[in-house]
Amino acid sequence: MNKENRKFLIYLHILLVVYSLSAVCSKLASVEKFLSFRFCLFYGLVLFLLALYALCWQQIIKHLPLTFAYANKAITVVWAILWGMLIFGEKLTAGKVIGAVFVICGIVLYALNDVEDSGSVSTGVKPDRTDDEGGASDD
Amino acid sequence: MTDSLLFCAFMLLLGTFISSISQVMLKKAADKHYDSAIKEYLNPLVIGAYSIFILSTFMSILAYKGIPLSMGPILEATGYFYVTFFGVKIFGEKLNRGKIIALALIIVGIVAYSFG
Repeated sequence: MNKENRKFLIYLHILLVVYSLSAVCSKLASVEKFLSFRFCLFYGLVLFLLALYALCWQQIIKHLPLTFAYANKAITVVWAILWGMLIFGEKLTAGKVIGAVFVICGIVLYALNDVEDSGSVSTGVKPDRTDDEGGASDD
Repeated sequence: MTDSLLFCAFMLLLGTFISSISQVMLKKAADKHYDSAIKEYLNPLVIGAYSIFILSTFMSILAYKGIPLSMGPILEATGYFYVTFFGVKIFGEKLNRGKIIALALIIVGIVAYSFG
């Protein structure tokens, strides 16, 4: 990995923190009265952070291998656990740590296998990508 | 797990499912040719996809009333199942052994997390 790649890897991880904060805002909105000022504020932040994430993701993946970028997305599991503990006082158990490790390994393995074999990427659970994939056949 | 926890977990799972559908719609829209840039964004598929996406954000807020924040990305990992299913069924993508093992790891992880 060269210096340029490393720079974008850092950008990617800053972006993934931003993405994880959108879930924090969802959680904060969830305790507010529907359509109250604070609800709208937090929900607005959710949409703003997701839009920011989608825009920056498009730019960052121009500079990093796509598989590698998708594999790194697994870190959002760790951020959610961390924010959960720090902001909302959630408890972590051994079983949860084991479960999270399995999910992270699964996401990384999925991403690594997605591009290697088919030349296309179908990962990503939010509509954050508009890049054209190969392999589409039924239009 | 209590009933309300189950309901909230179900909300997040359903939200993840419908947001996978919105992905398929965006992909379908991206594969089509449009006469103008405006039509590329303002067409039923794209507008429908973003409407579903907005609905899924409301569903996750509803879900977070009952489930811990840390459980969000764990349950959202189910999206990999739907995306794989749609990828194979609709877009003719290939399923390989690595992906199957990856999906198995995800499901084991979700179960372990939910009961851990």
